[in-house]
Formats: sequence, structure tokens, C-alpha cells
Amino acid sequence: MNRLNVLLIEDDPNITLLEDELKEIGFICLKTPYDSTFLTLVKDIAPNLIIFNLEIPSNALFADLQTLSHQLALPIIMFTRDNHIGTINQAIKADVCALIVGDVEHKRLNSIINVAIARFKHQQALKTALEEACAKLEDRKVTDQAKAILIKTQNFTEDEAYHTLRKLAMDRKITLGEMAKNVIAMSDLFK
Amino acid sequence: MKTFIKVTEIWIPDKERTQLEFGSGLYGELIDFKADSEQLTFAYNEGLPGKAWAEGHPIVLTEFEHSYFKRTIAAKSAGLTCGIAIPIFSGDFLMAVVVFFCGDDEDHAGAIEVWDKNVNVENNLKVMNGYYGTLQHFETISRQLNMPKGQGLAGLAWESGMPVLVEDIGQATTFIRTQDAQLAGITVGISIPVYNNPNEPYILAFLSAKATPIAKRIQIWIPNKEGTQLICQQGYSKHNNDLAKIFETLPVTKGIGALGRVWLTGMPIITGNHEPGYNPELDNLSKMLAIPVIEQGRLKAIVSFLF
Repeated sequence: MNRLNVLLIEDDPNITLLEDELKEIGFICLKTPYDSTFLTLVKDIAPNLIIFNLEIPSNALFADLQTLSHQLALPIIMFTRDNHIGTINQAIKADVCALIVGDVEHKRLNSIINVAIARFKHQQALKTALEEACAKLEDRKVTDQAKAILIKTQNFTEDEAYHTLRKLAMDRKITLGEMAKNVIAMSDLFK
Repeated sequence: MKTFIKVTEIWIPDKERTQLEFGSGLYGELIDFKADSEQLTFAYNEGLPGKAWAEGHPIVLTEFEHSYFKRTIAAKSAGLTCGIAIPIFSGDFLMAVVVFFCGDDEDHAGAIEVWDKNVNVENNLKVMNGYYGTLQHFETISRQLNMPKGQGLAGLAWESGMPVLVEDIGQATTFIRTQDAQLAGITVGISIPVYNNPNEPYILAFLSAKATPIAKRIQIWIPNKEGTQLICQQGYSKHNNDLAKIFETLPVTKGIGALGRVWLTGMPIITGNHEPGYNPELDNLSKMLAIPVIEQGRLKAIVSFLF
């Protein structure tokens, strides 16, 4: 049985249909309207999932979601009646996992949540892989730059420059990329 | 690694050479103090840099309030308690004033002293003024001392007219206050002659403790015999630094690179990244202050402090 914490953001506090359904499926659900305290609330309660059920999501909300995606990425599902292309684009930019335009279909709710969570995990894996690839590329760039400095200043061959760099990194117990940044910083001092 | 010096500034004469304007500075996280400082100018004999210019020798100011100091409120809120101003002259003419500020942390051990000629004892120096952080006993001993020419850090610098860097000062036979230094936790000292006329010597001495070294690394560069290149005579840091040593094997040509420009122009220089938070995980050498040692219009050495 699911015991995930869901933060449900809805316009109308008197309609409890979605909240009841979520509880029935087995989620722990906290319902609240959207306001300027949204980011603080998310950080305080650290939900596993956020679901919006809004007529028209505001620009302020999308700005908050973009901030949230940098600070605390979470699976986000949005039900709305707003089918403007601008809203769809903003939802994609804000890393919303599922955007459903129209009424909430309660019998599909559980599968929508499961797909959104799976999509979120997949997105996170892709993000991590991209960050690692970028970091490797950056490391390679700075390592080449540091080797070039050692070749130029010490008359090293490329091999000698690489081995010197590696030894310096090993002595300091830091990565080759970090050591390369040190060499560049030191070289900048004497430029 | 915390260093004894919290802020470093270079003040340079403006176009008319009648007042000092901000050249560059290293402020670390003290961005408010930086903002307050970089807009200022100092006339001759005004504020700490102007005073050092007028006096013609280094000054240590340990009380900001009710003094000629101009930035008392800003310094107080930045936690700075002491300022040291070092005028760099070429003959009669001022090239720049280097200013250091030290902080008020509880554990900032170290000392900065200015020695001048003791008029009562021939060929001896005495402490003219100094800042000793938390080392009160060491201060008392130092202020009572006569330092003969050719002895101790300051006396050696006076005799040779060159900067002197002593590592492991607690064991050094040349250092007069060895035992007191040991007790005070002082491990390294550097003295720098700041004068034009050897008969009127002013010697600046930096005494560095392990926990809060004066800088992360100190280097002395001197011209070779032919006067064609600068060679690193000595480099010291608390931790062995093979990378710094690699760069210290490189001779410096006049006008080329930061040290080459100091040699060419006779002006102190600050290089490296000035922004706070740069590569903090590396805790490495990312900033440098290089000070020329000039006597009678000739460069005798460059002392570089790496932070």
C-alpha cells in the first residue's frame, strides 16, 4: 500500500473530492490553496509528490516551480482547465511531470500518479547523467589547459605534464580536474 | 585556512599625484568594507594611507577610534582592529601605499612590527610600533628589546638591505627572541627593509603562527647577478606545496607576468581572483600580493604573499 506524502494544492477549499480519492488510494494528503508561502511549505513538509488542481495556474506559481526544481526536485502533477500553449510551455520549463487539461478522472488517478513518478525518476537519471557528462567534459578541458601550462612553463612533454598533474592530484587526494584548476589558478597569479 | 591578514589594499597616487586613490584590494567576505573603501581618496597626511605617505615609513595603527583613521565604523562592523600602512617609495617619490588589516578573532596569533633606529644605542633597532594580536607577553618582551645590526630578523634585514625569511623560528640561532617566539607559537618570520637611506632604517617584520599564518605562502624573488631575470630565492608555506615550487623554478623577465610588471614599474600588485567564494573547496593559492623592495631607485627584491 502507498504511504507517500502528497501536497495537494487546490483553488477551492470546500471541494474535497480529489483529497478524499487520494486518501482512499492510500496517500497521506495535506491540502492547501496556493499562496506566497508555497516554497517554504514545501521545504518544511518535504512531500514525496505535489499535485495541483487549479483553474488557471499563475505566473508566480510557475516561477516558484522553477525555483523548486533547482532546490528540491519533486514529481509534480498538474490538473488544470487552462489549455493555452503558453501554460503548457511554462509547465514543461518548470519540470511538471504530468499536465492533464480537463477534469480529474478519478479512476485513472492512481495510474497518472504512477506514470508521473516513473517519468520523474527517469528525468532525474537523465539530468544526473547530463551533469556527469558536463563535469567530465569540463574536467577534460581544464586538464588540457593545465597540461598546456606545464608544457609551456616547464618544457614538459605532454606525457610528463600529465604524470606531474596526476602525481600532484594524488598527493593532495583530489581529482585530476580539481588539481588542474589549481594549476590554472596558480598560473593566473603570475600572469 | 585562516590567515592573520584579513584585508589587503593598494592605494596609488592619482593623475596629479596629489592624493591616493584605490588601486586594488583583497577583502574576502568583507564586501561591505570593500564597498566603503573603494570609493575613497586620501590626501597627503590624510587617513592611514595618507599618513604613511607623509611620515615616509610604515605605520601600525592599533586604535581606530579618536584617531586620524577614516573608516572606523566600517572597520568595526567588519571586525577589523588594526591597520598597517606601508609606503613604497622610489627615492623621494611615492609609488603606492600597501595597507593590511588584521581582525579581532580570539585565536589570531602573530605579530606585525615596525623597527626603527634606536637613537640611544648605536647600531641598534627598537620596535617603533607593532601589532601583536593576542600575544601580550611577546609584545612586552619585544618592546623592551634592542636589536643590533646583523642580528635577529630585523637586524639581518637592516645589514643586508634585503628581505629575510626565517622558517622554524623557534629553532633559529639567528633569531633573538627564539624562546619567547616558541612560547607564543610563532614559527615563521619575514622582515622587509622599507627605506631609502640605510642610515635611517625602517624594518617591517611579520611573525607568523601556525594556526593563523600571515599568508598561505610567502616568496622572496631577487634579481640574478646579471640583473636580467628574477629568481625565487625562497618560498615558504605551512604545508608543503609542490605546485608552488614548480612555479618558483620559473625565472621572471622584466615586464613579463605579474612579478615582471612589479620589477618594471616599481609598483606593488594584487593578482588572482578577487571574488569571495572562488574555488573554496580547493583551499588553495588563488590570490597574490607582490611588494617591491626598492633602495635608491633600484629593485632589490620582490616579496610576494600568496593567499
